Amino acid sequence: MDRPVICLSRVEAAYEGERAATLRDVDLMVEEGELLAIVGPNGAGKTTLLDVIDGLLPVTAGEVRVFGAAVGPHAHRLRRRIGYLPQDLFFPPSTPYLVRDVVLMARFGDLPPFRFVRRADREAVAGALAAVGLSGLSRRPIGRLSGGQQRKALLARTLAQRACILLLDEPTANLDPEAKADVERLVVALKEELSSTALVVSHEAGYLRDRAGRVIVIEEGRIVSDRARIGGSV
Amino acid sequence: MFGLPWHIVLPTLLGSILAGFVCGAIGTFVVRMKLSSLGFAMSHAAFAGAALGMMLSLEPLWTAIAFSLLIALLLGPLADISRMNTDAVLGALFPVAMALGFVFLTRTESGGIGSGALSLLWGSVLGMTMDQVGLLGIVALVIVVAFIGFGRGFFALLLDRRLAIASGLNARAYYYGVLVLVAIVVSVSLRITGGLLIYALMVLPATSAFQWAYDIKKIFLIAPLLGGVSAFGGFLFSLWADLPIGSAIALCAAGLFLISTAMSPKRRRER
Repeated sequence: MDRPVICLSRVEAAYEGERAATLRDVDLMVEEGELLAIVGPNGAGKTTLLDVIDGLLPVTAGEVRVFGAAVGPHAHRLRRRIGYLPQDLFFPPSTPYLVRDVVLMARFGDLPPFRFVRRADREAVAGALAAVGLSGLSRRPIGRLSGGQQRKALLARTLAQRACILLLDEPTANLDPEAKADVERLVVALKEELSSTALVVSHEAGYLRDRAGRVIVIEEGRIVSDRARIGGSV
Repeated sequence: MFGLPWHIVLPTLLGSILAGFVCGAIGTFVVRMKLSSLGFAMSHAAFAGAALGMMLSLEPLWTAIAFSLLIALLLGPLADISRMNTDAVLGALFPVAMALGFVFLTRTESGGIGSGALSLLWGSVLGMTMDQVGLLGIVALVIVVAFIGFGRGFFALLLDRRLAIASGLNARAYYYGVLVLVAIVVSVSLRITGGLLIYALMVLPATSAFQWAYDIKKIFLIAPLLGGVSAFGGFLFSLWADLPIGSAIALCAAGLFLISTAMSPKRRRER
């Protein structure tokens, strides 16, 4: 395997207050440019896997490396190269943020203090919103968008970040079939445009899993199957 | 003004407006982060610190700042160690601060609650000196500079802490920054509204501002403005009706909140 960008060795992890590890003895290597689908039943550890790769959850044993660097809670610089789409993030109607500002926040990690937002940042935001078809809603409060539109706005945020790795947790969760199809197509287009490595948690069979070059199955915190797919995009 | 000489009225007038400004700005964090206990606990920590200063014959302002900062710096690690959310830890700290405040007051030279101590509880229209006004001005300037320099990180933190971390921001540093700012703002504003009511000056203008806009940047402009208006109105009301200034400011801020809620464009749109 050449150029693994993500490398997990004997990783164990648990959320606060949980005695049993949510991830157990996980070994995983992901090559640059792969589109990897992560599947498994509820509570199997799919989200936990993304959280430890992004350093949002510290490991209790083992090691996680991304681009060769150890990942942990203080890996702020490294995290700027990782686009993360959380599963359960939906904004209520009263959320006082405009769509364009939510997308712009993806660029904040790279902006030093006392530095104004650059033209390149604004252009990246405009481009990202155009790519997901939300240009006309850029000044709308994020909480007043539908669930599908909010997911698209968060995908635009990932696009504006120009991330090298995409961690997408159930990008089509709770969407109607039409919005689901839209978002699935966007994810694949986004991955190809950024030439990124993408890990997508997918609860159900569908377009994304069909396009994935590799599918891993997690059950009870362990990877029980790891297979390359013939006919996948990578 | 109202029979009082200007050299007495002016510091309190300027101090009230500045206190309204800084409390309104910082209250936006308290409201958005759903840390209503933070303002409450900090105001009582500042009260306990000021009472300690009176007991030790030190300047109450500085001991109030020191005590509040101590609580702010303890809060994060305590929440982390106890694995409880910040609100629960604040709930535990609040009665401790209140109890300490009264213990310190009973140990002052006057042996109980004198007029100086009472002003710590519900503010004093004659409580400000120009030095304290200057300090409030410096705190206001620090807040403005912090917003210009680090506002983006604060905005991201207020949207969603997890998303802010995922964007590569050091959310913990920003969070601690908020705690320290709240501690300082509460301490320097204590003389105006008093420990019991400063919470109102933090929360009500910010809550009112949320009624007027969907854009966090606008809310951060509106909240200090409403805080300043509440404090100015409360100051005049206090002199006119001969009320404690803290109560008068809290009533004005509550009036603005009712007006904002009734006239909110958000409410009209959601109907």
